Amino acid sequence: MVAALVVAVPGLLVTACSSQSGSSAAGGRDAVTAAGRATAGRAALASRRPEAVRAVRLLSQAAQAAIVTSYQGQEVVTRWSEGGGSVLVSSIWHVSGGPTVTQTMDAGASVSSQPYLSSDTDGQSPEGVLGVTAPLVQLLESHYVVSYAGTGSADNRTAQVVEAWRDDGSIAARFWLDDATKLPLERVVFDQASHVIGQDVFIDVSFANPGASPQQAAPASARVSAGEQGPWTDPLSRHELLALRTRGWHVPSGLPGGLSLFTGARTQAGTGTVLDLGYSDGLSVVSVFEQHGKLPATLPGWRKIKVNGRVVFVADPDQRSLTWSGRGMVYTVVADAPAETVDAVVGALPHDGPSGFWKRMSRGIDRLASWANPFH
Amino acid sequence: MSHLGDRLSALVDGELDGAELDRAHAHLAGCEPCRAEAAELRALKQKLRGLMDGAPAEAAMTRRLIAMTGPGGPMPPRRRLLRVMPGRRPAAGPASSRPGPGPALKPPKALKPWPSARRRRYLVLGTVSLVVGLGTAAFTAGGGGDAAPGPRITPPVEMYSVEHAITTGEVPFPGPTAGPSSDAPP
Repeated sequence: MVAALVVAVPGLLVTACSSQSGSSAAGGRDAVTAAGRATAGRAALASRRPEAVRAVRLLSQAAQAAIVTSYQGQEVVTRWSEGGGSVLVSSIWHVSGGPTVTQTMDAGASVSSQPYLSSDTDGQSPEGVLGVTAPLVQLLESHYVVSYAGTGSADNRTAQVVEAWRDDGSIAARFWLDDATKLPLERVVFDQASHVIGQDVFIDVSFANPGASPQQAAPASARVSAGEQGPWTDPLSRHELLALRTRGWHVPSGLPGGLSLFTGARTQAGTGTVLDLGYSDGLSVVSVFEQHGKLPATLPGWRKIKVNGRVVFVADPDQRSLTWSGRGMVYTVVADAPAETVDAVVGALPHDGPSGFWKRMSRGIDRLASWANPFH
Repeated sequence: MSHLGDRLSALVDGELDGAELDRAHAHLAGCEPCRAEAAELRALKQKLRGLMDGAPAEAAMTRRLIAMTGPGGPMPPRRRLLRVMPGRRPAAGPASSRPGPGPALKPPKALKPWPSARRRRYLVLGTVSLVVGLGTAAFTAGGGGDAAPGPRITPPVEMYSVEHAITTGEVPFPGPTAGPSSDAPP
């Protein structure tokens, strides 16, 4: 049976996963904080630069390995925030060059979500494991100082350790890559105070027969038909995405937190076209989904919160999806990023503010002017 | 042969009578050029009359604007800058603005400053009415919220989560559990 678990743990730091990884560097927050601060500084960065080329090569190999290697295992994704933490356990099956099957179950609600079959049937989509994909590696290299940090171990396997550092000398992330296959086995992400805010661990990894399809490798409960999912277009280039501005879409070239627009896609829903915009700095990834229309008054499964003084809906239970209306558009943000970055992103996108007297007057003058304008 | 000259326009305007009218008609009977000219003048006059008839609204507006200057009495004369002419001065009397003999440095008492208090009052009232009218129109036109609200969208967050997973190279998170929204901000 495929095991999957989602647990929201308010105020509790989930550290059990780090002991499974077998890595010494991904322990508790305090230990990481002390280690990160001790090694911070420009001098430390400068000493790591000679290893940057090797580190980038290893990460590129890891991104490729996630596509060409046949593997299966359990991925444990842990996220920490000020409100608490959450753990997600999923089973993954992947066959070289083919799609990936994952299955996750919300144990708290005793409801199994549908198995997910990736749309990467041609191996060209930016798929990977533990957030290591070719486009993200490029962004990581341009936004951080990447360095090789020697060997370690993860999931009882020998691993090559690669680190990403910020310009201010604080550590941003640490990767453990399988020495034999270069497949990512563990990733730990730190905030600017060197606190652990995210940890992804790939455990019970086994490398399967490359000839088998992932659906054959996966148990029957996780088998789905190809094409059941994947309604999105092929990834659009940055240039194509920016050109959509002329068609009424809101496409910022970047978002707060140093996030750059790097990918996107479109799909046709029953209520119209949906645009997906992907922003990242190589570690944090924010997807902005846009659709013309407005939200209903209530959204089952969502609750209202205030972010930077703006009322938005947040999705339970993961609380990393937010949605709101703004200027005739519904924005939905799905974020793997620090809370302050998500708040800044929400604040940077359009919102419908309260309609006060002067706003109404301004809107009325605009409308009168447009009615009187013979060229309008 | 002597043509009608100025009498032709007088004929067209109906200002000739008696023997002059008979002589003009007799001349027209034997003079082709004058007949043609008279015909052109009549046509021109008819066109001008047609133009005037086509703008009754403007004429009515003009009458109303004149009426706004106040009931009764002619419009006060405009104050002129009088050039001092040695040995001449304006003639006394409220209706006259002609300069008279002798030096005259002051305008006559009857000449009121322009605009008058009444005009200023109308000007202020007109301006206030315009502002209030435009404001009311803008406030009315600005109602109804922003334009183009479009369809009501419930975000398919599970589909979005899968797409986000492809972008990030991570596993997709499950969608929101169904249930009433709560914890609404004040």
